[in-house]
Amino acid sequence: MSDPVGKALDCSLSELVVERVGLGIFVVDRDMNVQMWNRFMHEHSGLSAQQVIGRSLFDSFPDLPREWLTRKVKSVFLLGSFAFSSWEQRPYLFRFEHDRPITGGVDHMQQNCTFMPLTRGREVVAVCVTIADATDVSIVQREREEALAKLREYANHDGLTGITNRRYFEAQLRDEFARWQRQGGELSILLFDLDHFKKINDEFGHVAGDAVLRTTAQRVSAVIRPGNTFGRFGGEEFALLLPGTTIDEAMLVAEKVRLTIGAEPVQVDGVRVPVTASCGVAAARAQNDDYVSLVNDVDAALYTAKQTGRNRTHIATTKPSLAQIIPAARPAP
Amino acid sequence: MPLSVVIADDSLLARKVMTKALPQDWDVDITYATNGREALQAYRAGKASVMFLDLTMPDMTGFQVLEAMQHEDLNSFVIVVSADVQPIARERVRSLGAMAFIAKPVTPEALLPVLKEHGLYV
Amino acid sequence: MSEPFFTETQRDALQEISNLAMGMAATGLSELLDAFIELSVPRVRSVAIGEAAQALREMTGLDGAVTAVRQSFRSGIKGEALVICRSGEIADLAVLARGPGGESPHETMSEIELVFDIANVVAGACVSSILDQLGATPVFSPPGLIGGGMSLDEVFRPDALTWDMALLIEVNFSLEDQNFRVHLVMLMAQESIRIVRDALDTLLGET
Repeated sequence: MSDPVGKALDCSLSELVVERVGLGIFVVDRDMNVQMWNRFMHEHSGLSAQQVIGRSLFDSFPDLPREWLTRKVKSVFLLGSFAFSSWEQRPYLFRFEHDRPITGGVDHMQQNCTFMPLTRGREVVAVCVTIADATDVSIVQREREEALAKLREYANHDGLTGITNRRYFEAQLRDEFARWQRQGGELSILLFDLDHFKKINDEFGHVAGDAVLRTTAQRVSAVIRPGNTFGRFGGEEFALLLPGTTIDEAMLVAEKVRLTIGAEPVQVDGVRVPVTASCGVAAARAQNDDYVSLVNDVDAALYTAKQTGRNRTHIATTKPSLAQIIPAARPAP
Repeated sequence: MPLSVVIADDSLLARKVMTKALPQDWDVDITYATNGREALQAYRAGKASVMFLDLTMPDMTGFQVLEAMQHEDLNSFVIVVSADVQPIARERVRSLGAMAFIAKPVTPEALLPVLKEHGLYV
Repeated sequence: MSEPFFTETQRDALQEISNLAMGMAATGLSELLDAFIELSVPRVRSVAIGEAAQALREMTGLDGAVTAVRQSFRSGIKGEALVICRSGEIADLAVLARGPGGESPHETMSEIELVFDIANVVAGACVSSILDQLGATPVFSPPGLIGGGMSLDEVFRPDALTWDMALLIEVNFSLEDQNFRVHLVMLMAQESIRIVRDALDTLLGET
């Protein structure tokens, strides 16, 4: 016979609070077995208290960073003091969905975690972990940073990477295209986009993502001719203007750039983040009425590069059926 | 006849805590030493049947006191009292002739079993 | 020279308490890192906040670029714990902490995270021990970075830190033959200093 009201009254108020609070709360013992699991954890993980209590946390969540987490909890048992993890250093511990609208470019709940000792006398008998949703804070912070970046872009340069911004790049492109229309000759353009960039932000945090963009821009700048306009075209998209360059020559440049990006992982705070890029190449031709059409061509080429496996260069051609794909498997010179 | 006891520690607080940890009805004569040299002096004067010895003292550490006493035919029951309880420290102290090792801060509950085990208090 | 915060006897008691705290921290740390940790006897000194940078410099010879982490604690006695170390040593520490096998990228700690971790562990263990002996159980807030590559004077800027007293505790620890020096500074305001004095007197008067 169930008596929900009576049951509720039987639970102490604090138990009710722990159950209903908008904060993930769970308790583990020395062997990482779960002793307590509140509703927030249940709702966000899909696993109920009954399913996880009494078992190792890692049995229920095999994707957790085992070594890191074990060490964190162990430090609390051994030293009897608090331990913490901030979203800025580690975006999340549990891969939960956040319940914000799809803004902020954040896929998962950003989390601040606290590890507290639960003591009886002088002995730590269990560790209580709280998971606080920091997604709002992280979004606000990102928005603030983006607003600042936009202000900086009032000039011609991208605030983050220091290379030219999209506005300026397009202006240059427009001029070069007009010149090509008048005088003829060659005009090529490269467009490259970092692969799986969202995943980099997700796994390593936005600070790391920014560092990757900055470093990539620096590396590419170092291997291209200074005279050619190099700009940030989008979030993780870069463009290079190559006036007086044939499409074959442009392809060589594209490969050089692509290999430069992929050669060395980017070091952020001692962590090595691997990076690759997909690249599209296009040259101005009679069918292009204006510079926008040329941009569409190179965009389509980039798209094909992504679709056919990423970390490769694809050249736009006049005949769609003769797409030329340069595989990434070619060994570096 | 009261047992002669030396409490050697450079910290006043530690000496007080140690004194307080002794059984209330233990028949003892206590001499205090504030450094290793004084501890050794008290030992040579026959005042240390039992010695509670701190390890980190100025002007002669607890280790040095133990070494000196070993050379002089160790004739005292030494109980080392220290904050550092890592196994290496304990072993070193044992090999130098100490009979027991108690972690600071010393409580009556921790001390009593040690005294009883070695027949120093019944 | 400013008026001393503690009497000689109180200072002695504080030194002993810090010794014990380091001993307990060493045991815990060595188990945690699965390595032999040697913690030296800490030097303890209390100064007015305005003199903290200079006093720390004298005590430790620390000059040049330092990294400082702050962490608040409260519970009767409240204040802030600063953990300061040479910025250059962090990279060495990182290599050590990561171990020979290296961890998967998912598990690797960034250097900032490592600094926070070490600061949290040192401050947590030592401050908890000290306050526990004084009869208080502290609750900590998450660590925050004051800065990396700063000078000591920048760390103790009066507008950034509004406390009255700095209790300087120099902790040297060696890990696997590598020497690291981490300096713990506990900052407190007048009311807490009073509570600490009372607690010390109680401990001393117990006999």
